Amino acid sequence: MTARILIIEDEALVAMELRFVLEDLGYDVVATAGDARTARNLVREMEVDLALVDIHLSDGPTGIDLGRDLAKDEGVTVLYMTANPGMVRDGVAGTIGVLSKPTDERAVQQAVDYALRRREGEPVQLAPPELQLFA
Amino acid sequence: MTLSNINDKHPAGWAERDRVAALRAYGVLHSAPEAEFDDIVSLAARICEAPTALISLVDSDIQWFKARVGLDACETGRDVSFCDHAMRETEIMVVPDATLDPRFADNPLVTGDLGIRFYAGAPLVNAEGLPLGALCIIDYRPRPDGLTDLQTQTLTVLARQVISQLELRRALVLRQESQDTARRALLASEYVGAWDWDIVNDRVVADERFARMYGLDPETAVRGAPVGEFMGAMHPEDFERVNEEIQRALNGDGVFVSEYRLVVPGEPERWVLARGQVYYGPDGAPEHFPGIAVDITERKRMDASLAEVATALSESEAKFRAIADSMPQMVWSTLPDGFHDYYNARWYEFTGVAAGSTDGEGWAQIFHPEDQPRAWEVWKHSLATGELYEIEYRLRRFDGVYRWTLGRAAPIRNEAGEIIRWFGTCTDIDDLKRVEQNKELLSQELSHRIKNIFAVVSALIALSAREYPEARAFASAVRNRIGALARAHEFVRPHSDVSRPTVGSMTLHAFLEALFRPYADDSGAPRVVVDGDDALFDDQAATSVALLFHELATNAAKYGALSEAQGRVGLNTKLSGERFVLTWTEQGGPIVAGPPSHAGFGSSLATVSVEGQLAGKLERFWEPGGLIVVADLPATALSRRRAAEKSANRHPA
Repeated sequence: MTARILIIEDEALVAMELRFVLEDLGYDVVATAGDARTARNLVREMEVDLALVDIHLSDGPTGIDLGRDLAKDEGVTVLYMTANPGMVRDGVAGTIGVLSKPTDERAVQQAVDYALRRREGEPVQLAPPELQLFA
Repeated sequence: MTLSNINDKHPAGWAERDRVAALRAYGVLHSAPEAEFDDIVSLAARICEAPTALISLVDSDIQWFKARVGLDACETGRDVSFCDHAMRETEIMVVPDATLDPRFADNPLVTGDLGIRFYAGAPLVNAEGLPLGALCIIDYRPRPDGLTDLQTQTLTVLARQVISQLELRRALVLRQESQDTARRALLASEYVGAWDWDIVNDRVVADERFARMYGLDPETAVRGAPVGEFMGAMHPEDFERVNEEIQRALNGDGVFVSEYRLVVPGEPERWVLARGQVYYGPDGAPEHFPGIAVDITERKRMDASLAEVATALSESEAKFRAIADSMPQMVWSTLPDGFHDYYNARWYEFTGVAAGSTDGEGWAQIFHPEDQPRAWEVWKHSLATGELYEIEYRLRRFDGVYRWTLGRAAPIRNEAGEIIRWFGTCTDIDDLKRVEQNKELLSQELSHRIKNIFAVVSALIALSAREYPEARAFASAVRNRIGALARAHEFVRPHSDVSRPTVGSMTLHAFLEALFRPYADDSGAPRVVVDGDDALFDDQAATSVALLFHELATNAAKYGALSEAQGRVGLNTKLSGERFVLTWTEQGGPIVAGPPSHAGFGSSLATVSVEGQLAGKLERFWEPGGLIVVADLPATALSRRRAAEKSANRHPA
């Protein structure tokens, strides 16, 4: 089944381009959200396999807690995508890791692939170098 | 044969030790001949018709002759002394023929060359009954008849004369010594002199010293002169006052104490302290008025210097306080051990504390509790080492608000280099700190936005490319370059603690490693290996650095070493004197035929960046084994802003 991905990013254009990239790769982008509340509501309403979470959202640096909650409470596989990876330097329990922006399409593809395989419990292969894994 | 022991007590009651002490007390032993004594022996010799006459003084081991006639020796041993015997008698001892006297028959003076035969000696006994020696006459022919009555009487009288002369001599010596002592004491005490004023006849008699100090002829002074003549030496400014003081003494006070100056030609100006006492006659009128004067010039001078110094100090202190209280900063001062004993007005205004309540170590309570331990440590360190004290901390204002303050202090040292005081200031920097903090926040905010802009621009390009599919390759190339710029920017932008890249340092190598990470092989090992000297680079160089290496890597990935799995690139960076050289060496890729027919735009961009922006030199070597690129930059090129700052600090405007 095609993975269902939620993009949580407050820069609309960036979110839009990312959506195109993911759709080109064959994934199903179920929605984009620019703030934590919208994201939480969306997850409650629909099935989400993977969330790509930016840390700085329109309601402040709420992405960290959001990611943690989605992973813990909603069973979503969470990948942080941020220009500020230092903010999750010590890792966030339950989430996969952090991808540093700016990235390129290849890095996004590899990271998403890796994260989905982890979700399926498949044997873990090497993560792309741009993806900083949490322990 | 010894006749006595020093500890013996003569039957007459005197002890030898007392006798010797008494003799010595006369200070006459071994003294020069004196006429009074010489006359006595001459007369004795004549009256007794004897060739030899002596005044013999018997010391513990010798007899010594104060006066002699008819004998060369001035002393003999005591053991051969006739006088030693004679002095113990109460009357004249007569030895008619020494050879027949068992006491003296063996005496060397008898048996030897001298050949004494006749001796008559009158004891010399002092007022305490201690025998000192004898006055004797000696003949070298025996006289069986001894002395005549006249001779006996004469000798007796002359013996008493000798004693008198010795006493007189002793008295004179004592008096002289006493006078010497007194004179020395007076000299030491700067005694000026003494006067005695016969008030009734207005005649002041004074000693020589006094006369000289007062500019009078000593003889006049000794005879006596009216008091007016002495007062002529007084300093005109003191004259009136001293006159009044004298009148007061005469009129009933009786006691006179006055300080005044003497001005006498040929003498330096003197300050004297005069003390006198008025004596009144039976009718109550003042009769005479003796006194002494002491030179106090030195003391007055020292007092004046002390006064000057005290005034200077006090003025200096006043000036200091004036300055300190007018300064906008708080000023404080401590003893060498750190005990605060001075704060200026500003301190008390700011803190609102009661005067003196922050003395000693009381200052600490005004500091923010979180800053107190650190402040104590830094202060203790400065006290121990003498190093300048400087620290930022929060200080409590009178209204309870804590304000950021810069505290600084420096030690003052004496000539020996020891610290005698600390002087310090507190400057309110709260506004400054807030501005700094705001600037910092602003700067981070801006930086974050710029980062965002990179992301947005990149997205825009990609989105635009979707509209123009034929431009996809173009868009990709542009996005990649922008990506490199964005990554470089990450390393040069102002960071807060959380935003700092996880790599830690923001250096060239760290950036390069991040830049080349996408080219890692399947195991994650880098295919561009960076080594050599690291460097800092700032925002001015960021664009150039990013573009240069982005180009080199992209080209290598398209046509060079990175286009093949086993290809590798070595990037060596080296700081060599004033130059920074980066050497990019490709290997393991396709064989290089030679330079390309024309330079691609990418290589032009790189060239422009290195040679224009970084003012360096870029050279390409198309080696068959792989391309080698050398970028030779001025060492300051990567961090131009810092180099400029450093230069400004060395040559302040």
